[in-house]
Amino acid sequence: MEESQRILKYLTEVEEAAEDVLADKQQIVELDAKRNRNREALSALRYDSQSEEKVKVCFGNMFIKLPKATTNQMIQKDQEQLDKEISDLRKRLKAKVNNLHELQGKPELKGYNLSPLSNDELRAINSILKR
Amino acid sequence: MAAQMATTKVPEVRDITRIERIGAHSHIRGLGLDDALEPRQVSQGMVGQLASRRAAGLILEMIKDGHIAGRAVLIAGQPGTGKTAIAMGIAQSLGPDTPFTALAGSEIFSLEMSKTEALSQAFRKAIGVRIKEETEIIEGEVVEIQIDRPATGTGTKVGKLTLKTTEMETIYDLGSKMIESLSKERVQAGDVITIDKATGKITKLGRSFTRARDYDAMGAQTQFVQCPEGELQKRKEVVHTVSLHEIDVINSRTQGFLALFSGDTGEIKSEVREQINAKVSEWREEGKAEIIPGVLFIDEVHMLDIECFSFLNRALESDLSPVLIMATNRGITRIRGTNYQSPHGIPLDMLDRLLIIATSPYTEKETRQILKIRCEEEDVELSEEAHTVLTRIGLETSLRYAIQLISTAGLVCRKRRGTEVQVEDIKRVYSLFLDESRSSQYMKEYQDSFLFNEAQGTQMETS
Repeated sequence: MEESQRILKYLTEVEEAAEDVLADKQQIVELDAKRNRNREALSALRYDSQSEEKVKVCFGNMFIKLPKATTNQMIQKDQEQLDKEISDLRKRLKAKVNNLHELQGKPELKGYNLSPLSNDELRAINSILKR
Repeated sequence: MAAQMATTKVPEVRDITRIERIGAHSHIRGLGLDDALEPRQVSQGMVGQLASRRAAGLILEMIKDGHIAGRAVLIAGQPGTGKTAIAMGIAQSLGPDTPFTALAGSEIFSLEMSKTEALSQAFRKAIGVRIKEETEIIEGEVVEIQIDRPATGTGTKVGKLTLKTTEMETIYDLGSKMIESLSKERVQAGDVITIDKATGKITKLGRSFTRARDYDAMGAQTQFVQCPEGELQKRKEVVHTVSLHEIDVINSRTQGFLALFSGDTGEIKSEVREQINAKVSEWREEGKAEIIPGVLFIDEVHMLDIECFSFLNRALESDLSPVLIMATNRGITRIRGTNYQSPHGIPLDMLDRLLIIATSPYTEKETRQILKIRCEEEDVELSEEAHTVLTRIGLETSLRYAIQLISTAGLVCRKRRGTEVQVEDIKRVYSLFLDESRSSQYMKEYQDSFLFNEAQGTQMETS
């Protein structure tokens, strides 16, 4: 009885950790979709042929007329926020994946926690890597 | 679906059965230890030598944990007692990520390179550096490419590229440069591509499965891939392991990186090495690199001379030093380059630093097992009596001689269209090929009729 309780508790733990990882992944996907929509909006603003001063912006289920410059600024700010959020999520995701691996008794991924080489450094040793 | 089946089947026809050559230790796949480091009697191609295998297992554990570096191990024993087999076993169980460099003691004597240079190159080949490459990529299936050419024919082209994953779809505006590289890669709707965000490099991964039925006729090389999942803009991380020697070579200015391929690296200046060491330790402090001390295996270590040993002494002190495993089959003998005698032909100060693993001769049962494993490896069927006879031969002459007889007896057996090697086959090859003791016996009897028989001479100087 006690044994089965212990196993159940362990399995719940693993499931929770896995669920957490999946939720974060989904979150990243959604944020990236938003980021891409924003990017489309920005380029639409840039190539807008009509030289009107104001554009219609959709907030929820309402269209509001706003000056172009303000809209541009707003979206760009949103973009920065999204970029930051995504990279934060990715950073946290690493710890969570490691945690999941540990719970499942898998070996920790090698080199997973290294910080990446900069572009210059990579170029210097590129000829070894591209073999 | 049928068309796709046909296209994927084509390359399989050219599959040729691979013929592998078999080496003397090709049957070794590990040290044959269980989880508690207890050696199994027969496992992973290893037989017997329980104590030495357990000792090797302990050292292996320490190497894997990265606890020891700059230590040296000596495997000592009579010829044919499995010294090289143990070293191979260690190499096999280390896995692909830990560098393992093997060389024979005589390899370092070359006219092009000084002995110490050859040794330091070997040392640095045995140290791995783990680094990480990180790139932002856009990965998706091309839904549509639209390129507007200006009516005049000249001027900048503009265009739009629609990409999708299973979760989302988006439109990118294209500049003239992107258009150029897209048309150079012949990207069309239905291709799965990646775009490197930093460099703008486009790579075609293949065609999407959903578009598999678009055309009936397509090249056999067309690869079908799934539509990518998740977000469009991904982060790709690749971990590489390179050896210090490789970094040395590309930074050795006189040679350039081409030297790595031609194999002729020449000598590398010590200043270059110092710079590399400084850079790598800087990376390590910034968390950009991990050092993996690997294993350098020197077989026939008694071939090294006194200068090499003093170099090894010093090299082991360095903080970037691999685990050194040496093997020798000599007893008390002269140290090369001196007139002094020493155990294993290794100076006493060096010997003092070593952990020594001894191997002992195989028993009859173990010899039998090894011969059986080799028969399987060389694909020769042996009858029970022939096996017994061969074991006797192995015990009375040497294990190596008996192993040599396996494939030759196999050939004789095949010539008489037999399926299983019988005692007669063994007898036949035994009479055809002399073993070491019979050969010397023959020499003693007939040496008068050989040329240059100054004969009475001394035994071979083995040091």
